[in-house]
Amino acid sequence: MTAHPSPAVIARYADRAANLDEVTAWSVEVHLEDCADCRALVADSTTDDSRALLARIGTALDDDIAAGPAPARRRRWSAARHRWLVWHLVPWTTMTVAVLVCAVLLEALQPSLPSLVALLAPVAPLPGVAIAWSRRHDPAWELIAGTPAAGLAMLLRRTAVVLAVVVPALAVASSRTGVSLASTLLPCLAFTAATIALGGLVGVHRAALALGAAWSLAVIVPAVLTAELPVLLQPGSSLGWALLTLALGGLAAARPDNFRRLSSLN
Amino acid sequence: MRTVSAAETAPTTYPWAVHAEGLRVRAGRHLAVDGLDLALHTGVHGLLGPNGAGKTTLMRALATVLKPAGGRLTLLGEPVDGRGGLGRIRRGLGYLPQQFGFYPRFTVREFVEYMAWLKQMPKTVIPGATQRAIERVGLADKAGARMKTLSGGMLRRAGIAQAIVNDPAVLLLDEPTVGLDPEQRMDFRELLRDIGVDSCVLVSTHLVEDVVAACTDVVLISEGRLVYQGTPDDLVRQGGEGYPGDSPAERGYSALLRRHRTEAGR
Amino acid sequence: MSAADEEELVRRTAAGDRRAFDELYRRTSPWLLARLRRRCADDDVVADVMQETYLAVWRAADSFAGSAASGSAVGWLWTIAAHRLVDAFRRRARQNQMPAVPPAETVAPAAEDEVMAGRVGQELEQALLELPPEARQVLRAMVLDGLSVRETSLLLGLPENTVKSRARRARLALREALS
Repeated sequence: MTAHPSPAVIARYADRAANLDEVTAWSVEVHLEDCADCRALVADSTTDDSRALLARIGTALDDDIAAGPAPARRRRWSAARHRWLVWHLVPWTTMTVAVLVCAVLLEALQPSLPSLVALLAPVAPLPGVAIAWSRRHDPAWELIAGTPAAGLAMLLRRTAVVLAVVVPALAVASSRTGVSLASTLLPCLAFTAATIALGGLVGVHRAALALGAAWSLAVIVPAVLTAELPVLLQPGSSLGWALLTLALGGLAAARPDNFRRLSSLN
Repeated sequence: MRTVSAAETAPTTYPWAVHAEGLRVRAGRHLAVDGLDLALHTGVHGLLGPNGAGKTTLMRALATVLKPAGGRLTLLGEPVDGRGGLGRIRRGLGYLPQQFGFYPRFTVREFVEYMAWLKQMPKTVIPGATQRAIERVGLADKAGARMKTLSGGMLRRAGIAQAIVNDPAVLLLDEPTVGLDPEQRMDFRELLRDIGVDSCVLVSTHLVEDVVAACTDVVLISEGRLVYQGTPDDLVRQGGEGYPGDSPAERGYSALLRRHRTEAGR
Repeated sequence: MSAADEEELVRRTAAGDRRAFDELYRRTSPWLLARLRRRCADDDVVADVMQETYLAVWRAADSFAGSAASGSAVGWLWTIAAHRLVDAFRRRARQNQMPAVPPAETVAPAAEDEVMAGRVGQELEQALLELPPEARQVLRAMVLDGLSVRETSLLLGLPENTVKSRARRARLALREALS
């Protein structure tokens, strides 16, 4: 805080008719922003007609306040909640969890099948990620697409919300069916990174569809038909999946500008 | 006290807030904007045209929601093209789309604050700016009401509030008076005139009276091309007794359209 | 009576405490009135701006209380008032009434004020004294009042490019004077 001005200076500041040069007024104003005691001095030095003006404003305020509603309390943490709790993702993540539950049940009923949970793990997050940035599913999409915050950060935030539901579900499902955690989680993360990286080029929707379809046709169907786990999902492949995830994540992070334009690809 | 950056006081090098040269924009497969030349400076510009003229597509392209298929578009001195850097433009934009979706569980204040946050306004400024925007559109009584409880006109006003919360240099409003009663429309015109004093506003509307009452400049487009740009008085002068219309402005509008169509060989 | 009390008053206002709000008004309105009067010569405009400011505080105290972690209650009270003042000037500019900017005050400080050293720093004060009054006005609006270029141009009734060039000259002059 700067040094206190003398009471005489403050009295001249408070009185409009008094003569106070601009530079002194500048330092007085800087000081008054921080010092409540000097503000009280200003209150004491107000002239009578100023007090009358303040009283008039006060009564007008009373009328306005009486005419309107009481101050509304905002809900706690509402800002953070609205950024993270994305309601339109709920149906899709619920569906994903339901599919995983069915996979667990099927495995219990038909032990001869290869691990369905491991087969489904890579494509489990894809429905959620696909509609995390989708014109058809996000009601406020048109408004959000034109804001500066619309880009990779927002997509990642929503993807994190999807993963926060899918990853625990996968963990539970893999522990129930005796599959190692690494062989379900790492492919899941790799495919998520792949969807985002590819999504920067062709649109997240199309990327998710393409990857999901490719995995289903190339891996899931043959595995179910031949009743054996494909090479890609054998326990030794975890390192490969981890490296793939990092590479794809780096690719997506290297071109964040792609995502500002994502709107046109939807 | 705050610091003033050098960038803030650098002289303005661009003559037009919105400058389009030969702009082409696709809506789906159809080329809705086909070779449009447009130059807008400070003031309120009314965008008129028949249905299917490409007004909404043009608005979406100006709001950087849609990527142009060809031509040059410069907003606030920065080119809008494939290469990134849209953040600075988007921070100075305000957009109200025609189909305005929202999250029903948000209250009006939470909605405007969320949009202010998405527009990357500094956190300390957001509550004050939100309150000011809500008061300017006349929704101060309903600030705590949930969006799903609002009538059509109030929803539209909430949409206008989120568009003006960041005091944009370029404000784009697509059919903002839909659902407003005549008194609300008059208040809205006052607001438009206020905003047009120091920013560039483009209002797309079907109502010719709205344009004549509030706009300093009229832009008429048809089939994706610019037909006419001039003051409302000039628009009136284009018409005459022989043309259809209930008001001088409507007659001018139909005169210009008819002349444009005969020139284009229709 | 310390600054912390004003933030506490805002918190109680947010809970609907009318007495806390009245106390806040009593404590801060004389200061706000004095400050606004030095930017606007028309008392009616000043009265309207103050009424709108305190009404906004009453209605939205909760939002302000939540974000008052950075900045004092008095700081954002001034921010609200400054923006309302700019809005009032914008309305007048639109209606083609000239904005009521008070005449420039005397430049040379009186002898007794020169004794008050170290208020904002003597070199800064000296530098401010040497600036032409128009540049000082622009600087006050931008630096002290926290307004943007667009808002300053509305407040002072000047084109934006004029505001920018005066601000540039002021910065150069200050940098020279302080170096």
